[in-house]
Amino acid sequence: MEEGNWILATVIRAVALGTPILWGTLGEITAERSGVINLGVEGMMILGALAAFVVAHLTGQPTAGLVVAAAVGGAAALLHAFISITLRANQYVSGLALTMFGLGLAGLLGRGWEGRPLLDTLPEISALTYAGLGVAVALWVVFYHTRWGIVLRSVGEMPAAADALGVNVALVRYLAVAFGGVMAGAAGAFLSLAYRPAWTEGMTAGMGWIVIAIAIFAAWDPLRAVAGALLFGALFHLSFRLQAWVAPELLKMMPFAFTILALAATAGGRRGLGAPEALGTPYVTGER
Amino acid sequence: MRRLGPLVLEPDPVPPPARVLGVSLFAIAGALLVAGGVFAAYGADPLVAYGVIVRGTFAGLREASEVVRRTIPLLLCGVGLALAFRAQFWNIGAEGQLLAGAVGATAVALFVPIPGPWVLVAMFAAGFAAGALWGLLPALLRLRLSVNEVLTTLMMNYIALYGVAWLIHGPWKGATQFGFAYTDAFPEAARLPLLAGTRVHWPTLAVGLVLAAALAFLLARTRLGFEVRVLGQNPTAGRYAGIDPARTLLAVVLLSAGAAGLAGVGEVAGVHHKLLDPGQVSLGYGYAAIVVAWLARGSPLAAVLTATLLGAIFTSGDVLKVALQMPFRVTDVFNGLILFFLIGSERLLAVRIRWAPAATAAVPAEPGVPGTPETGGGS
Amino acid sequence: MRRIYLVLALVLVAGLAAPGAAQQKLKAGFIYVGPIGDYGWTHAHDEGRRLAQQRLPWLETIYVESVPEGQVEPFIERMIQQGARVVFTTSFGFMDGTLAAARRYPNHIFAHASGFKRNRNMATYMADFYQVYYLNGLMAGALTKTGRTAYVGAFPIPEVKRHLNAFALGVRAVNPQATVHVRWIFEWFNPAAAKEATEALIAAGADVFAFTEDSPTVVQVAARRNLPSFGHYSPMQKFAPRHVVSGQLVHWDRIYIDFLSKVYAGRYTADNLADVDYWWLLAEKAVELGGEPGVPVNPVFRTALQAARVNTPDLGRISVYDLVMRRLAQMATPQMTFDPFTGPIRDRKGTLRAPAGKRLTVAELTSMEWAAPGVVGPWPKEP
Repeated sequence: MEEGNWILATVIRAVALGTPILWGTLGEITAERSGVINLGVEGMMILGALAAFVVAHLTGQPTAGLVVAAAVGGAAALLHAFISITLRANQYVSGLALTMFGLGLAGLLGRGWEGRPLLDTLPEISALTYAGLGVAVALWVVFYHTRWGIVLRSVGEMPAAADALGVNVALVRYLAVAFGGVMAGAAGAFLSLAYRPAWTEGMTAGMGWIVIAIAIFAAWDPLRAVAGALLFGALFHLSFRLQAWVAPELLKMMPFAFTILALAATAGGRRGLGAPEALGTPYVTGER
Repeated sequence: MRRLGPLVLEPDPVPPPARVLGVSLFAIAGALLVAGGVFAAYGADPLVAYGVIVRGTFAGLREASEVVRRTIPLLLCGVGLALAFRAQFWNIGAEGQLLAGAVGATAVALFVPIPGPWVLVAMFAAGFAAGALWGLLPALLRLRLSVNEVLTTLMMNYIALYGVAWLIHGPWKGATQFGFAYTDAFPEAARLPLLAGTRVHWPTLAVGLVLAAALAFLLARTRLGFEVRVLGQNPTAGRYAGIDPARTLLAVVLLSAGAAGLAGVGEVAGVHHKLLDPGQVSLGYGYAAIVVAWLARGSPLAAVLTATLLGAIFTSGDVLKVALQMPFRVTDVFNGLILFFLIGSERLLAVRIRWAPAATAAVPAEPGVPGTPETGGGS
Repeated sequence: MRRIYLVLALVLVAGLAAPGAAQQKLKAGFIYVGPIGDYGWTHAHDEGRRLAQQRLPWLETIYVESVPEGQVEPFIERMIQQGARVVFTTSFGFMDGTLAAARRYPNHIFAHASGFKRNRNMATYMADFYQVYYLNGLMAGALTKTGRTAYVGAFPIPEVKRHLNAFALGVRAVNPQATVHVRWIFEWFNPAAAKEATEALIAAGADVFAFTEDSPTVVQVAARRNLPSFGHYSPMQKFAPRHVVSGQLVHWDRIYIDFLSKVYAGRYTADNLADVDYWWLLAEKAVELGGEPGVPVNPVFRTALQAARVNTPDLGRISVYDLVMRRLAQMATPQMTFDPFTGPIRDRKGTLRAPAGKRLTVAELTSMEWAAPGVVGPWPKEP
């Protein structure tokens, strides 16, 4: 019944749907590596989606939309950074608040933009799509083979020690969280400019939460994030391909069950596969 | 210590209740001020909006009862989470545990023939058990393999969500629901009674209040409570005090997850009378309960207050939507702002402000303001 | 009748007291299940509300969006406190809550969309698309090159199954060998799910697309592959001007204006609604054929549809374009001289669902669970 090379077709779909997930995940991984979990991905993503759509609509330049979306995502992330790093508030609650705030603000500002076709869009599979893979490789190199990576990881693992060595913990965390926002904003732009060029209220439909899950699934490793995003994209697509044979809910459940299995399988043994030691913990200068 | 003109700011990591209340009210006032700007942007006089909120949430029995109805699941989940956070178990899986509880209650209501009033008791028991079971796996993984529970409990939420979706679209889909994705409706005996003139399913509320009191007693007066407090303060010290950390933690997690399961029972037996789309069973109560427990600083009794606060905030959103004809997303902005201000002000709690003109205070300044709140971040 | 006198008296008093002052207003509340910005179901209801408010000077409306199922009752109460006399609830999941409120407020008037429970003060209403889906099916049958058409369904419930079956009957009326491949997304709104379901259907060889989901996703995905599609609910031709053949459009304002006018005139009261069920179709102009208001068939496809010819039992040999227009005209008359669900109809398992010459009743249409011949794919709870 199926025509053509369905494996290749599935891979293409996995890449297309995996791209926004990958972008968001790489950003979240970077933030979490610095010790700051940001549950506000959904909020940053939808703000990015709206900003990209509006800018592309007004200027006719989808790339301008992408750039503005990244900036908007970064700005939203700075809010989380200020509250969780400078004010040392609970990161989980701050992230939840950012998700609410972002969804709310995008819903309000996006009124009247629904139902408008976008003439200048980005292609779904293009150099931009593969840029995500490039960013993943670059991050992997930075994380594990550069001084910056050591600094970033030490801030996430042992902020007191990093501080003692003269690292500005707050600055590193600010930069990492802002990068996370930039990537989430860009992911939102991909949704509203390329994946499905249109603006609709609530159009991220939970993808921000998937991103947080994939970041965990990937064990904070940028290359594993590629695998996680592709696996999720493939399973999501296959849940429709295989609908006649497998309940779609059970297929969609898979990545989350896999994550628990992966966490259990890799736990206890080698160091570095688990979460950054200081994840979720505010750092206070001078406290050891 | 820091100096601001004649004021001296001193670190004081254990804030007295009066300061907690004062700072929280200050934060809410700040949030309302900013939200007032949003209201004004939508053409509503902020003062009118505040008046409408107060009238719509507390003016009468009807209004207040809606706040209570919203509070019930927040209370049950929040009380349990407060206990877990006290033991340094960062359970963010209340959402999934709530859904598991709803499934447990539904199974009893629809498929187990139990006579008369016992069916409700059995549903609560099954809901508690199912919720606890949902918390068991993350607890065991943490105890046996040191797997971070934040991650596993979050993942278990999704598994519960898709599990409920699968049940209502598949094996449990009701024959009498015209093809819609609901289970059949519960029989009358499996529906919770309501407080007269309201929609408050009071047995769940009573369970929540009793649980809050019981857990407060447990923490303050029992051996288990002592162990929880010791473990929460210093996990390694516990061993010297003859505490089995595994046993204690397991008890805490089962209680915490079971409480969330009870909230799920209340939602299906008191509100919906069937199992339905997971996004309708829980309106994000499990996640909001993290805020409840956080604001309550690990105190089950304080969770009664903070759950009510959040219930009132959510109800305010409903009021704004109808009375001022605001788009529903205004309420998200409003709730987000209040949360930002509430947690953003936490740092003020750890600071005592004292009037001390420069001449009398000659203490050398220390760098920074050390001390985060007691339950801060799990370090 | 007392209400009329009261209204008259008030009008009189108002007229005497302050010439030119506002008449007694009727306040109606609308409770939506989704956000107005969904560009689908809720968006359409809100358009209907706003048109009604424009047309009826004595009408005042309030609304609330994104209401969860368990919250419908308290929201109804809040609307009544705001002075609403009539409350419309626009989701199947609101049925029991609306009924409970109707019993609690016996002097208020309620109307529930897409349900089947009524009360002396609670009516039901629905603007249904099955006839339009049939017309879309006729065109799809003519346009498919692979013989495989596609349908992305929201939920496998009778409403969507009915529309899918009507579409399939249309496809087979033109192209007896063609099939309708179906995928379900189990959500009313989820662009990513709609997109991947469409991609899955493309991978299965389908080349013409119809759907039920609250976004233009399916239309956009098909257009990127240069494949034709049919819009759903809102005007979607503008999202793919060269690829949207036609579609369904809804005009809830027709129902809202009619219902509210009758309430205002005193014909509908809180005592006589137990049998009031609006089941409005093409003839009542509650629904429209097209991907853009006033454009039943996109001119881009006119030549292709005129070139395709079929044999029909009643109209002889005729072009598909003419057939669509004739069937549209037949269904748009009050007598409804044609209806797609007219026997003989067998389901895809061969069970007789309508004997020759018999039309399915509204009750049979609204409880439809079977699958029409030619439908290929999963079909939960198939009898």
